[in-house]
Amino acid sequence: MRHTFTTMGTVASLETADTGALTIPSVEAIFRDYDAHFSLYRPDSELSRIASGSLALRNSTRWTLDTYGDALSWRERTSGAFTPHRPDGVMDLNGIVKALAIRDAGCVLAAASGKPWCLNVGGDVLADGTEKGAPWDVGIADPADRTALLTVIELTGTRRAVATSGDAERGDHIWRGGSRERPEFSQVTVVADEIVAADVLATAIMAGGRATLDELTDTRDIDVLTVTATGDLMATPKLRLSH
Amino acid sequence: MRTRAALGGVFASIAVLTIGWQVGSSATPTTTSQPTASGSTDSSASTANSSTSSNDGTYTGDSVSTRFGDVQVQITVSGGALTDVTALQLTDHDGKSVQISNRAAPVLRSEVLQAGSANVNTVSGATYTSDAYLTSLQSALDQAGL
Repeated sequence: MRHTFTTMGTVASLETADTGALTIPSVEAIFRDYDAHFSLYRPDSELSRIASGSLALRNSTRWTLDTYGDALSWRERTSGAFTPHRPDGVMDLNGIVKALAIRDAGCVLAAASGKPWCLNVGGDVLADGTEKGAPWDVGIADPADRTALLTVIELTGTRRAVATSGDAERGDHIWRGGSRERPEFSQVTVVADEIVAADVLATAIMAGGRATLDELTDTRDIDVLTVTATGDLMATPKLRLSH
Repeated sequence: MRTRAALGGVFASIAVLTIGWQVGSSATPTTTSQPTASGSTDSSASTANSSTSSNDGTYTGDSVSTRFGDVQVQITVSGGALTDVTALQLTDHDGKSVQISNRAAPVLRSEVLQAGSANVNTVSGATYTSDAYLTSLQSALDQAGL
């Protein structure tokens, strides 16, 4: 069964065999709660009030502080390539909030039933159930032709998450640390065990370019496919056909 | 079983295996110097043709050039047996030393594109807006209920 709903300015697609009455409303509620709290597009959200100065960070909720702490630790782990700050200094947690919501939704889905499910939110994918059946086949969009695929990645075993970052669609959420250089990559796809890692590291490689790509593939358990502005591809070993 | 007499061959095999792992089957490595079958190498270690465990120690193979850089392998012999293989060195073309790793390397589209691309469960791509979703592949998949 497919269920789609709009959230966070994009569309979520949930495929699940679970027909429990509470499962889908619970998943939708997670995204609604994150969006209401963290969206900078909503003037009444806590993050908007912090951005406008009407709420001091020290008076913000534990949820905000924990999430900010998460984002800052990812900044450290990516040598600054991922940052939770806009160039104007405003705290912007959009780069991590969607992935956190997907992660939490995944916990709900996993607890609801033992059946396979696949959740795609705006192009970021978390799936489960592959160990019991066939792998989930995730197509990777071609940034030069949105009706075409570059490749297909099988999610199986502990590999459950795919996130793609790029400038092909909505390039407004990647801050390059003030750099005026053109990005090296037009699209970065990261396959990982965890959706937050996949999403944050895709954003970091998009922002940091080749140096960040090499650093993160050296130190983290991820598979990466990148596309340059001219359409050239780079891939880590497991994503090459010969493997 | 790897015999000590074929240690030079082991060097060569390990080097080729390591290169194959790093750059895939498309690589066409060229060796700068081929270890000899007698078991001696140009390394600083002594030749490994003894049948006793007195040759225990570490041995360094020749550096082999690939199109992505140079690779060199070190092995450890203990109790007369090969006990460890270490990728000692991989330098990029700027001469910087890097680890043999999970690094991304250039690939042709034909090297990643798999048959049956149309039969996917879902599509990962750069975040689309709600409007752009309507014309996306994901939207088509969702409408088809596939």
